[in-house]
Amino acid sequence: MSANRWLATGNYFTTYQEEQRIFFTALDRLFCSLLLAALFIWPFFMELDSKYMLVIDNILVAVIAILGLNLVTGFAGLISVGHAAFVGVGAYTVACLSRVIGDQHVLITHAWPLMILISGFMGAIFGGIVGLPALRLKHLYLVMATLSFQMIFEWTIGFMDFFNQGQTIYVGRVVWFTGTVGRNEHYLFWYYTLLVVVVLCGFAVRNLLRTRYGRCLVAVRDNDRAADAMGMHPGFTKVYAFALAGFFAGIAGAMHAYLYRGVGMESFTLHESIQYLAMTIVGGLGALTGSFFGPAAIKILDLQVEVLAEWALKYLPSTMNLATALRPLSFGLVIVLFLMFEPRGIANWWRILRSYVKLWPFRY
Amino acid sequence: MSYFLQLVVSGIVVGSIYALSALGFVLIYKSSRVLNLAHGQIIATGAFITYSLTVMAHIPIFLSFLLSMIATFFLAMSVEKIFLRRLIGEPIISVIMVTIGLMSIIDGLIYLTPFGSENFSFPPFLPEQPIIYAGISISYTQLVGVIITFILIGAFSWFFKKSTVGISMRAVSDDQLASMSIGVSVPRVFGLAWATAGLSAAAAGSVIGNITGLNFGTLHAFGIIVFPVVILGGLDSLLGAVVAGIIMGLIQQFASGYLDGNWGLYGTANVLPYILLLVLLLFKPHGLFGTHEIERV
Repeated sequence: MSANRWLATGNYFTTYQEEQRIFFTALDRLFCSLLLAALFIWPFFMELDSKYMLVIDNILVAVIAILGLNLVTGFAGLISVGHAAFVGVGAYTVACLSRVIGDQHVLITHAWPLMILISGFMGAIFGGIVGLPALRLKHLYLVMATLSFQMIFEWTIGFMDFFNQGQTIYVGRVVWFTGTVGRNEHYLFWYYTLLVVVVLCGFAVRNLLRTRYGRCLVAVRDNDRAADAMGMHPGFTKVYAFALAGFFAGIAGAMHAYLYRGVGMESFTLHESIQYLAMTIVGGLGALTGSFFGPAAIKILDLQVEVLAEWALKYLPSTMNLATALRPLSFGLVIVLFLMFEPRGIANWWRILRSYVKLWPFRY
Repeated sequence: MSYFLQLVVSGIVVGSIYALSALGFVLIYKSSRVLNLAHGQIIATGAFITYSLTVMAHIPIFLSFLLSMIATFFLAMSVEKIFLRRLIGEPIISVIMVTIGLMSIIDGLIYLTPFGSENFSFPPFLPEQPIIYAGISISYTQLVGVIITFILIGAFSWFFKKSTVGISMRAVSDDQLASMSIGVSVPRVFGLAWATAGLSAAAAGSVIGNITGLNFGTLHAFGIIVFPVVILGGLDSLLGAVVAGIIMGLIQQFASGYLDGNWGLYGTANVLPYILLLVLLLFKPHGLFGTHEIERV
């Protein structure tokens, strides 16, 4: 490593350790720390309307889910059309427990970090089971496996009395060191919790991709026969990718359950699965930064669509429900347009920006 | 016994519609190896076109049936031309995701029309009194639907086996490079495959619409039930699609006839196909008639 640790220009790697560091330059590290500090500090200086606070919390929940979906779809190259169902598995783990032992039980309200972890593992178990066909088959068939899991999940929730037939199951308020988290600070509390979880998950994924367990995902995606020859087991790698995706989805689901203080069917339908796919594609498949850009972009688009629908309703007969029409339309358009014109997603724009800064002060 | 036979009859009715829906899906997969997730939406579009031609333009139903098939023929062809043509050569994963996007787009477009939220039913044009024979009843609409379905399936298999276009489609599905070298235009074949799929989808949609009434939810569910059907039949076999469609119809009817209401189970017809799909993927992924590709991971 050369003397200048701030710019990438003129630096070259002499060891593998250097190549695999999380931050390549000190500038990267500084930028990331400043960004994190800003994310943690801003609520002290300004107060957002609780509607927008909920949107931000939603984005963070989606980020956790997308970190998982990006692992399985972006890095391992397997399409999962049932990601919302895996998120649902996590959410219903919390909900079912609160139905069995009561939603004010100490396990739900006090031991919520444990609940979130348990939900993650439940998601991983289901992910692994659904991924089992990957031992024999390629991605075409896995689309069907995940799709059928989505349908089975929807049926199970919708028709079983135990799951309240898809109606809302309530989850109690959590307790923190300062006492029960009340109505006023609910969204703020979950903003901070989600932020911590997102940071942990983000670093977990970044670290995973430095180790052999992450790199084997990419190797199997790029050429499974070569990966096989290098001593990896492609089938197990794919099952493991599904299990990992399920883990992140389960965590996201549990956070969703706590954030909304209840779990209902409508957040885990096929439509939501497609929305998750849209987030992954828009963010950028196989790019870690994409997992952050995608959910933000799609949720903001969603907000804009609602505004547009409200505005258009002034000029149109009020019988039409414009938002339900415009939402799938905009998601579909976004998916198709990004795939056709920018298949590497928003993360690619970020990469272009970075590569400009990286070469500074030279032009090329 | 007559209850059992009644279930068999209605299973065959439902199953033949599944077969017709699966036909278009298999056509696209066979020629271009694309899983078309938007198939249910094309089915719905076809049904709605037929309905609006019959009811709003007062065209006789059989004529509007044909007109809607022609309309979806060109619609599906242009969908292929606009969205999928430029993705030839891209990894198959992005092509599948484009069809997922299309599914969403068509959903949105249908929600913009009244068809998205309301229920419609075709004006009755056949005697409403069902035929009853030995305690088994079948309505005229169902009977005509099944007859139309089998005529169409026969026409499609003739088209595939004998006509030049059908043979070139089979050639492309077999080996793209070899068929290019003997002068088959591969993009044109892809377009035609989508177009014929659209045509069969419109036929399926109109038959479904006549039997069950027009409801967007039911119609586009047919695009998803197609998956278990084609996996059971083998992804690239037309015969398999027909046989598996009928088997799937029977399974669903037996499930709702015998399982529902017992042991606290309801709506099992909607879930059994998918459980079967998961099991099939584990143990017999090439289905009943599919080619055994050596596609081990």
